[in-house]
Amino acid sequence: MGILNWFRRRGTPADRGGLAAFQEKYESFKRLLDANNDTLELMARLEAVAEGDFVFDMQFIRSRSQAILAKVGTIVTELNLLADNRYQALTDLFASLADRISQEIAAPLADEGIPLVLPLTQVDRRHLHQVGGKNANLGEIKNRLHLPTPEGFVITNAAFRLIIQQNGLAERIRTFLDHLNPDRLDELASQSEAIKEAIRGAAIPEELQQEVERHYQQLVATLGYAPMLALRSSGIYEDQEYSFAGLFLTRLNVPFADFFPAYLEVLASQFNRRALVYLCQKHLAHREQAMSVGCLAMVPSVASGVLFTADPMGRHQDVMLVEAAWGLGPAVVDGTVTPDHFVLAKKPAVALLSQEIHDKPVLLQMQKSEAGLATVAVTGEQRHQPALTQEQVLTLGRYGLRLEDYFGEALDIEFAIDPRGQLFIMQARPLLVEAPDTAPGRTATATEKERLLIEGGTVACFGVASGPVYLVQKDEDLAEFPEGAILVTRHTSARYGMVLHKARGMVVDIGSATSHLAILAREFKVPALVDTGVATEILQPGQVITVDATHLRVYDGEVPELLEQAQKRSPSPIVTTPIYVKLRRVLRWITPLNLVDPKLSDLTPENCKTLHDITRFAHQLGIKEMFDLAEKASQRDDIHSVKLKTHIPFNLHIIDLGGGIEASRRAKFVPPEAITSIPMRALWKGISHPDISWAGPIPIDMKGLYAVVSRSLTASSDHSDFWSRTFAIISFNYLNYSSRLGYHFATIDAYVSDIRNDNYITFRFKGGAADEVRRGRRVRFLGAVLEKLDFEVEVTGDLVVGRLWKYPRELLEEKLDLLGRLMGCARQRDMLMADDAVVDWYTEAFLAGNYRFAGCPSQPTPPPAGPPPPP
Amino acid sequence: MAATIIIVDDEPDLLDLLKLIITEKTEHHVLTTTNPYQALEWCREYQADVLISDLRMPQIEGIELLKLLKAQDKRIPFIIMTAYGTIESAVEAMRLGAFDYITKPFRKEQIIMTIGKALAKRQELLGPTANRNSAP
Repeated sequence: MGILNWFRRRGTPADRGGLAAFQEKYESFKRLLDANNDTLELMARLEAVAEGDFVFDMQFIRSRSQAILAKVGTIVTELNLLADNRYQALTDLFASLADRISQEIAAPLADEGIPLVLPLTQVDRRHLHQVGGKNANLGEIKNRLHLPTPEGFVITNAAFRLIIQQNGLAERIRTFLDHLNPDRLDELASQSEAIKEAIRGAAIPEELQQEVERHYQQLVATLGYAPMLALRSSGIYEDQEYSFAGLFLTRLNVPFADFFPAYLEVLASQFNRRALVYLCQKHLAHREQAMSVGCLAMVPSVASGVLFTADPMGRHQDVMLVEAAWGLGPAVVDGTVTPDHFVLAKKPAVALLSQEIHDKPVLLQMQKSEAGLATVAVTGEQRHQPALTQEQVLTLGRYGLRLEDYFGEALDIEFAIDPRGQLFIMQARPLLVEAPDTAPGRTATATEKERLLIEGGTVACFGVASGPVYLVQKDEDLAEFPEGAILVTRHTSARYGMVLHKARGMVVDIGSATSHLAILAREFKVPALVDTGVATEILQPGQVITVDATHLRVYDGEVPELLEQAQKRSPSPIVTTPIYVKLRRVLRWITPLNLVDPKLSDLTPENCKTLHDITRFAHQLGIKEMFDLAEKASQRDDIHSVKLKTHIPFNLHIIDLGGGIEASRRAKFVPPEAITSIPMRALWKGISHPDISWAGPIPIDMKGLYAVVSRSLTASSDHSDFWSRTFAIISFNYLNYSSRLGYHFATIDAYVSDIRNDNYITFRFKGGAADEVRRGRRVRFLGAVLEKLDFEVEVTGDLVVGRLWKYPRELLEEKLDLLGRLMGCARQRDMLMADDAVVDWYTEAFLAGNYRFAGCPSQPTPPPAGPPPPP
Repeated sequence: MAATIIIVDDEPDLLDLLKLIITEKTEHHVLTTTNPYQALEWCREYQADVLISDLRMPQIEGIELLKLLKAQDKRIPFIIMTAYGTIESAVEAMRLGAFDYITKPFRKEQIIMTIGKALAKRQELLGPTANRNSAP
């Protein structure tokens, strides 16, 4: 059947004639390529800026993100024009990404009109500036993802500002923050206490009291009982890329009667000593401080813990880590008990890879019938039983994947299990994942071995550091922490984070890589080893040591070779400033490329997570669509085509979309030298190479002949059309060449211009007359040659597809020339490939320019060359 | 020589970044504010050596700030930061006596170099024997 229904589809301009419609599609394709090119350039420039050498502002991030969005919007539109709206899913995905990016770059709303209290059911990322990252994320999880979360309400930053203002504290706080000195911890303690006292003693504005009362009563109505509350802080800068891990207060099991004192206590915690030091460490102290508080119905957890949706140390791909213990959450993150540890696979489906169940002698629980918490002993078998059932672990893993997918980054998720076994997500925040350490594994040298003090433990932050040991046994020791020392402690208490900006390294006896202190160590890039068991026993105060966290070793004295390596990894502090953080947050929806596999089967809108993915998807599918269109157009009778005047015996018909043939020489028959299309000229050069024979049959061995004959008799294909027409749809830069030669079908789709990013070649070769084994040999021959010619090659059955992108014009012209020769050589070549060994021989021969395959071990006398090409 | 540099921009993020870069690479004292009038006051109060200002600010435009500074003290070089696409305004600022303009985004070395040149100009304006502390 010659005429295809793509022209007849609803809405296609069939009336305007085939060529006009084709030309319209081709114009879409060119606009798609142009927008693709612009997008990639814009992305590359934005990525370059993110590396840390530039000064820019939010306006710059906004304008560049919007420019990229506009270009990608064009790409999506043009692809759908090209494909009659068959990629509607991509349009939806683009809209959702545009929405996320717009949220990231939106200017913060002014406080006017922001309610003092919002029910959690109304909170999402749009309220980021009012409710902080932690509450905004929880709102998204509840209201967009509909995963189980506690019920509750959020007291916004506006309420904090109102309290500060009405109590005349604004100026005092500003002055206090302006004069912070993080290195004078003793002084800081008393100042911090005074500010906290002022906040604890603040009067609650009447309107806030009423609003909180109203929302609590609503909560009571929703739940059907008067719940105890968990008051969770959500700092204004928290959970963006500043972890503030474990720095603010969370009050659990608060009865409503005690609500306001507890609320003020949580507000005051943003001025606790550890938080203040962190503000200084992160250059945030002079910024506006505010705190929102999530007020959630208590979940009487029987078990709880954390889920990391990636290995924070970047060692293992596609795993998730779960740590869980009995009772309420703090036990896990504080390091009070050694939690059970589960490792989950992410792919192909969530599965439990391993588990370590520990003795959990105590648990934290809600006091029965009164406020506060109690630590109680775990007795009997329960101590050694897993805190989660396998089903709970797997459900948690599936939630984790959905959350990671939704937020577009690895997450640190807190969860709880209620007495009915129901799993709740309590919070989710970005997880800082270390780039995998590429330092090669090395064995300690003989001298090093002599100085080895500790070997083993768990790496919490990769790297090497050297300095004197400073042993911290109690909080008071922190005040004297010297600049450049190695922090050595028994536990991973988050309080020790206060000295991390001064510490060069850290070695800890007990604790895991998921603890708050470990998170902080990674944030401050302090090489750290935890769980060594013996550090505080072996390491002496003042003793100079070298911590090689990467290789889990601690040495006596300095080890210069190790330190030299480490120096190469020092990051610039500039990239941790707020504006760079904001840029990176926007970029995570723009630049990461997940569609790295060039296989068409993986190219689905569902696999697109970023604008870069959409760009890649649309580029690849645009090429495919263009190819399909060209292929179908070539089978139409009403499209005007010219024939090439040549001695080579095949019927080459050419459809010129514009600029492909010299205008003055257009006629029914045109000579090859009238071709102006860059890719067609290049291909023709190869086809008409003097050593390539297109004439007459190629000598075959008898088995091969038998295979051809039997296939001809059984195949339903129209073998009468043995020398079918060969089509080339061309323009100045474009070529779509489809050729049926004998029993095989070869196509080339190419765009060759001076703009390297637009350029590509896609070559497909399918079919053949001989039996499957022999056809397979030819495909392997073609695949091997294409690979040597730098193509990305995919072989499926007797189909070989080679792709090449973004090469400069001259190189693509050369490749097209070689493809022309290769097609000539591959003609019926399957019939000669009598055994596997000969495939390699053919490959080498082709690459050596022996196009007649003279001297082939299993070949009869080589045929004479075809007639010389036309002059 | 440690100089006093005042920077005004309506975006605190940019102020933080510039301050970090300048103090990391030089000995200069850097004061930052989002309020152009505050910047003007500081120029007087701290005998500033250079004023770096954004072109577009909510309170007053950079050009207006430049005029006010020139009326107050002609010897403080004024560097204006512009965004891509507002070059005309930058040229206008130069015509009105701005020392230089710099287009965002710019490389950190670029601002350090521009400050260096502005400080040389400042020396020239003060004259070889001039005392920085003398009133304008």
